[in-house]
Amino acid sequence: MKTLKSLTLWGLASSVLAVAGVVCAADIRVGYTLDALTLDPGNHRKRETETILRNMYDGLLTRDSKMKAVSELAASWKQIDVTTYEFKLRPGVKFHSGDEMTSEDVKFTLDRMIQKNGIDGQTSPRGGLLGPLKEVQAVDKYTVRLVLSTPWAILPAMLPFQEIVSKAFVQKVGDKGLATQVNGTGPFKLVEWRKGDAIIMERFADYYGGSPAIPPVGPAKADRVIFKVIPENSSRVAALLAGDVEIAAELPVHMMKQVESGKNTKVVKVNGTRSFFVSLNNTKPPFNNPLVRRAANHALDKKLIIDRILQKTATPINGVLSPDTFGFDATLPAYEYDVAKAKKLLAEAGFPNGIDVTLDVEGAFAEMAQAIGSLLTKAGIRTKVVVGEGSVLKAKWDPKKPKVGDMWLTSWGNGSLDPEDIFAPTLATGDRGNSAGYSSAIVDGLLSAASTETNPAKRAEMFGRAQKQVNADAPWVFLWVPQDIYGVSKRLKGWQPSADSRINLHRAYIE
Amino acid sequence: MNLGKFIERLLHLVPVLLGVSLIAFLMMAVTPGDPVEIMLGDQQVTEEQRIALRQDMGLDLPLPQRFVHFLENAVTGDFGMSYFHRRPVSQVILERMPATIELTLVSLLVALLVAIPLGVLAAVKKNTLFDRVATVGSLMGISLPGFWFGLLLILLFGVTLQILPVSGRSDLGSSIAPVTHFLLIDTLLAGNLEAFRSAVAHLVMPALTLGLPMAAVLTRVTRTSMLEVLRQDHVTFAEAKGLAPMRVLFRHALKNALIPTVTVAALEVGSLLGGSMIVETVFGWPGLGRVVVESIFTRNYPLIQASILLYAVIYVLLNFLADILYTVLNPRVRL
Repeated sequence: MKTLKSLTLWGLASSVLAVAGVVCAADIRVGYTLDALTLDPGNHRKRETETILRNMYDGLLTRDSKMKAVSELAASWKQIDVTTYEFKLRPGVKFHSGDEMTSEDVKFTLDRMIQKNGIDGQTSPRGGLLGPLKEVQAVDKYTVRLVLSTPWAILPAMLPFQEIVSKAFVQKVGDKGLATQVNGTGPFKLVEWRKGDAIIMERFADYYGGSPAIPPVGPAKADRVIFKVIPENSSRVAALLAGDVEIAAELPVHMMKQVESGKNTKVVKVNGTRSFFVSLNNTKPPFNNPLVRRAANHALDKKLIIDRILQKTATPINGVLSPDTFGFDATLPAYEYDVAKAKKLLAEAGFPNGIDVTLDVEGAFAEMAQAIGSLLTKAGIRTKVVVGEGSVLKAKWDPKKPKVGDMWLTSWGNGSLDPEDIFAPTLATGDRGNSAGYSSAIVDGLLSAASTETNPAKRAEMFGRAQKQVNADAPWVFLWVPQDIYGVSKRLKGWQPSADSRINLHRAYIE
Repeated sequence: MNLGKFIERLLHLVPVLLGVSLIAFLMMAVTPGDPVEIMLGDQQVTEEQRIALRQDMGLDLPLPQRFVHFLENAVTGDFGMSYFHRRPVSQVILERMPATIELTLVSLLVALLVAIPLGVLAAVKKNTLFDRVATVGSLMGISLPGFWFGLLLILLFGVTLQILPVSGRSDLGSSIAPVTHFLLIDTLLAGNLEAFRSAVAHLVMPALTLGLPMAAVLTRVTRTSMLEVLRQDHVTFAEAKGLAPMRVLFRHALKNALIPTVTVAALEVGSLLGGSMIVETVFGWPGLGRVVVESIFTRNYPLIQASILLYAVIYVLLNFLADILYTVLNPRVRL
């Protein structure tokens, strides 16, 4: 039977020998985890969808390799007053249809996103990314003004999240049409969307060249770019090793060796933007006592976990922010690994015999949680790891609900690399990501002042003070910021991974 | 079968589907998780924006009202909007369903083509080496986890030998106009042999992964029922009449022995649909199973609900079809 099975396999396989491995050298194929949900850049809230679309659509601003907001479709911008920004558009930028992009298109794009029921009766899920944007004025053909209802310092950092659509095109194909068709100003135009399978794009010959801040400027180098959807990690890596794709996104740490040992493949990494932490329940014993929370921080040998489990692909942090974030305070004191000190702090807090607690974690991070749990246990914080499903845990730790858990190994992303986007949601009293139930009047005051402060130096100073306060209060066990890891073909040139997890292929080519 | 019976059987669908809808709805209602929060992810959002999205998704209505709305609309074929695709659920399902059906049918074909000859041979050569190997082989086939077997195939044929594509449904080179949405048929209709071969190449590993465990089950069933039939009087009588052994085997024995095989095959198609969720993920197959899995994790209620209903309809219809097939295989059986 076994022989028969393999005979059948061989028979079938040899009949299709000629088909496999058809490669066009000028194609760049990306093994990607998820398909685009829609091709309408204003009607989704998914990073993966944005990454795909960003190769066909450009925005007013984009980010350079240092994650600084730089001009893209806008040639320049300035702040007129605390609530008004003015953008001068690059003249002569063409949509894929050949029409010129003007201020009317920018106004139309942003209006669609901030108006309730603005997209065929639906409300754009991206409205929140535009904060207090109240009105968009098309001053002249190449000038747009964005008017905010309250000062919002991070507008430039948030604008790279938005891509500009053509008003005439949307009016022609409708919002429904925009969900499956593309007419952007980006370096590639859509050839075909094979839903769930692949998105195929080809070079747009009339591309204006992209942001001058990110050389080289000019049309895309690759003939075609294909995002192939391969959700399973092992299959994605197999596709890379087999030469079926040139980039395998989201390479898991334990598969790095496999890719490194491939003849034609290598591993590339970039600092990520997601801070990992163990949220401690600040609202009930034992973690309502700061001494116990500090003890937990001292009990953890972060270096050991980063070296052994994460294979040195993460940077330890002593607060909420990743080192690349605006206003990051590099002088925050570290909670050094010290079991004796942890035990002493526990005793001081009235727990000389230690405590028994649970650590919630979702399946993907169970191994990490086991390591954390065993280290905490050694210091008298006897930890039981409980694995749950992501959405269930999110609901259990919802800040609006009474808190029942002890600890939750979780994380928060910060794609804009501005503290506003991670600090306030996770640590302002009652905010939507404040799973720890942390509440500090000092931190609340600083965060609220910083959100409307437009002087960068003053903002940085406010966030600096807030970081120190949080570090001392230790609402979490501060962990690390993992790197984003990619497997790539050695023939791929002109592409670097980006900290915001985007895969922009404008300048990439195959050697 | 008369028309009255047929309609009666079809009417049985109604309470089944109502029950399935209610159970699916209640299960989702008691499962924690909020699609709005899941969608918004980690960034800042104002309360008004959150409320607007909640209204958009109809989550601001009380549960019973949501259920009634769902039923009212479902009757007209409107299953609402997918929260995350922001398109009608029916559209998303129709986009993905053909790939799943194609994979399921080809896997079923693989299973039957392997299982029936093997089962018959094992029965005829009872207690020989062939029989034992077939029995042990099918036990292994039943025991192998599908995703693991799939990954092994990928490693062998995709990475080491590089003779089969690792993922996806078709080659990226040529575009085929969709007529039936089944790629095997559409490529042939377009007269594009190269694309047809590519479609076959992409199907081989997923279909084997899905089909061989089912073949293992069916081999055992076929063998057992064949052994039983071979012992029956009418077979002995046919042999005694001096009919050719092949004729006895296929005309007199196999036809009767296939009844349990058909029953199990029909039931197993249900598990093929379920199994395809895993296989579609491993092979990046653009089918419905993967969308359903993603939807469960993101609490995309309308899509989950519609898919469960669809799976239920398919399952019930397949069983119905199996019943009809009995009457063909054995005229003594009446519906």
